[in-house]
Amino acid sequence: MAPMELILELTLMPLVAFLVGMMMVLMMRRIAAKIQRRVGPPLLQPLYDIVKLHSKRTQISHGLIHDIGIIMAMGGYIAAETLLPVPGMNGIAEKGGIITLLYLMMIPSLGLALGVGQCANPNGSIGIARALTAMLAYDIPLVIVIFGVAYAAGTTNLVDIIAQQQAGGFAAWGAVEMPLLAIAGLIAMHASLGKQPFEIYIAPAEIATGPMVEMSGKYLGGLFVMQCFQLYTTSVLYVSLFLGGGSTWFDFLLKSFLVLAIPVSIAYLFPRYRTEDLLRLMWKWPVMLGLIGVAFVL
Amino acid sequence: MSSINQIPVINAKRGNPLSKVFDELVRFCRSRSLFILHYCTGCGAIELPPAMTSRFDMERLGIQPMVSPRQADILLITGYVSIKTLKRVILTYEQMGSPKYVIGICSCTVNGGMYWQSYATAKKLDEYMPVDLYIAGCMPRPEAVIAGLQQLMDRIHSGEANSWEDYFRNYDYYLGNQQKLFGDHWQTPTDIITEAKHYNLMGEGTLGEHTRLLEQHQKPLEALDMRLGHNLKEPTK
Repeated sequence: MAPMELILELTLMPLVAFLVGMMMVLMMRRIAAKIQRRVGPPLLQPLYDIVKLHSKRTQISHGLIHDIGIIMAMGGYIAAETLLPVPGMNGIAEKGGIITLLYLMMIPSLGLALGVGQCANPNGSIGIARALTAMLAYDIPLVIVIFGVAYAAGTTNLVDIIAQQQAGGFAAWGAVEMPLLAIAGLIAMHASLGKQPFEIYIAPAEIATGPMVEMSGKYLGGLFVMQCFQLYTTSVLYVSLFLGGGSTWFDFLLKSFLVLAIPVSIAYLFPRYRTEDLLRLMWKWPVMLGLIGVAFVL
Repeated sequence: MSSINQIPVINAKRGNPLSKVFDELVRFCRSRSLFILHYCTGCGAIELPPAMTSRFDMERLGIQPMVSPRQADILLITGYVSIKTLKRVILTYEQMGSPKYVIGICSCTVNGGMYWQSYATAKKLDEYMPVDLYIAGCMPRPEAVIAGLQQLMDRIHSGEANSWEDYFRNYDYYLGNQQKLFGDHWQTPTDIITEAKHYNLMGEGTLGEHTRLLEQHQKPLEALDMRLGHNLKEPTK
């Protein structure tokens, strides 16, 4: 591939991810509004929020690590976007592989932990401790699921996994061939989004939004951008693993929005678990389903 | 970059023809995305849940509740402010990032309302911090709250709602009123004078006799000790 073409793709892929991610945030808030019989926010509300937060006049920084932490939180996801193939653009997905992608998806939580650590706010510390505990909880089923899919496909290359599914048609989709892994993956994905009932680390009424408690202006704006990337990354990874990726943009966007709509619709119907309940639940059901699914694959 | 003086602030000249378009965009976004911190002290708090939830739905105007002063744009004070409460309100106000707006709901914030004769109530809120908007009534209905917020949105869009600058430019006046209530040793964790110098918001009223009094006894700010329960065993003073 020509280097210019590669640079263009590496620039375009995070940009596309950001735009689609903003639409996903809007969809999430609209679904919440519809469930609560409200009108919901206007079409460009995520954009207004981000522009407003970045245009605050005074910025409250708690130190250098606080600044770097936010950049790590965004940068981890921006790097992850270049490893996620979209229709027409593969970026460096073939060289990276799915294991690198998993590592990159953990960086934002660690960056946030660094940044929040310097704020010296007890709510923030409790929040980030819970966020890392939640990561420990959902990463085990996620790794089992990804191992199962990679073993069945015989490769850790995401481009190959998508190509195999598209070549075989609907019957070759991961969700049809490995339904148990798909269900376990959906639960792990829901937990990794941090939405109710797995919303232990935001918990506005209990620990005042946890990691976000000391963030103002550009810092909170950075986290809003991170949320767009987070929704995009999670749903596109699921689509690539289980729903055959996207052959066209219409196909791709339809699948990723539909996949995201499932956890979001469930989220606004439930309160949240306690931390130990979350761990117990995540290490029991998705892990059990995933292990049985892996046994079928083996 | 632990000190505020080390963060660079660029006061660029607005020579670019696109800067007007940019300013218009920023003002529009500011008016259409408002995060509320509600400091619910009195009965006015009852009128806010219907204004936020299904019946009147503030979110269609881009207004949503937030839980920490750092994240919020609007400080909504709903009801009477006792002297003890006022200290907390001022701490909260000073921690918010500018541009910030204050809304006083109910007649108690306007003139003390039915607590006029109380010895423990601060009567007029705008003596202690600049108030952008009062929504009078005892209590105002959710329609009135939303109409007031829409008025504030119009003022933000036209660029008139900049009373937060007034707190920096006339800090001496506000500090004097605060000292009259809380005593001469009143000090908040936020250093308003340094912030005003840093962001070029010094006015004629920033420094005066009251800030001189503050500087006489001002203790330098230190990071909080992170040990748990350390003041349970050995009481400080």
